[in-house]
Amino acid sequence: MTTDPLDALHLPLVPIEPRPEFADALLRRIEARPGPLDRQAATIRYFVADLDASVEFYCRLLDFEEELRPSPVFAMLYRGDLRLLLSVPGGPGAVHTLPDGTVPQPGGWNRMTLQVADLASTADSLRRHRVVFRHDVQAGVGVRTLLVEDPSGNPVELIEPTAGYHERSNR
Amino acid sequence: MSTVSVRYIVDDVDEANEFYVRHLGFRLEMHPDPAFAMLSRGDLRLVLVSPVGPDHPGGGSRPMPDGTPQQPGGWNRFMLQVPDVDASAENLLREGVKLRSEVISGVGTKQVMIEDPSGNPIELFEPIRPEARLQDS
Repeated sequence: MTTDPLDALHLPLVPIEPRPEFADALLRRIEARPGPLDRQAATIRYFVADLDASVEFYCRLLDFEEELRPSPVFAMLYRGDLRLLLSVPGGPGAVHTLPDGTVPQPGGWNRMTLQVADLASTADSLRRHRVVFRHDVQAGVGVRTLLVEDPSGNPVELIEPTAGYHERSNR
Repeated sequence: MSTVSVRYIVDDVDEANEFYVRHLGFRLEMHPDPAFAMLSRGDLRLVLVSPVGPDHPGGGSRPMPDGTPQQPGGWNRFMLQVPDVDASAENLLREGVKLRSEVISGVGTKQVMIEDPSGNPIELFEPIRPEARLQDS
């Protein structure tokens, strides 16, 4: 039989009224517990042609961190609260090939939008690394944006908010 | 503060709003322009834009400098975790949502790909092996 060593102290049990904000914070912390599948993060899947080149691109140039690379056709990266899955289509297992044989392709226009602190310097750095620009830095409503491509031709949008326009309050 | 969002190009922002709110539990945050809306679901912020002309003030869906227009479609997508992917797929099918794939089993997840009204893919996944690290794809 196991006993709690604290029992010997005969401490009184004091009921505590948990403050809702404390409970919320605790819940958020529990939910944010790391773990590849449990971690609550917005998740995106991109198809890439060359896994090594892609991991290198996202980690070296865009501040992602490699979490898993268990096979030559799959990697999981993180950048803050974004989880990025990179899949090489048509490879071993080929779970993403459709029943009619259609193989997923990189490319298209749907994209992740990453906020950076200084878009001009990010643009300079990407240009130095010969990253392909779909368009250069331009002004939008509340943000300046830049649209580049990863080594497989997938779009990545970088934004710098102007005057806190895109700040998102903590929930 | 979340520093990431996903931008999807759609044919019709109103129609897309309705789809994401009704079928996938998104919340409409703002819709200040017919060609722009921002939605959220948990940690994911989804920006929906429809293609605009080169002089439109909103920059996210203008054509490229060489005139190439932005279009919906492709394969890159955001993913939503669901507790029971078979049930989700069945419900969505009943609601008239188009499935691009059947429910398929990878190493770490069961998943299904659906399409929004513009043909953009969304992947729903259910972790099937929480004790294993996600090994596939």
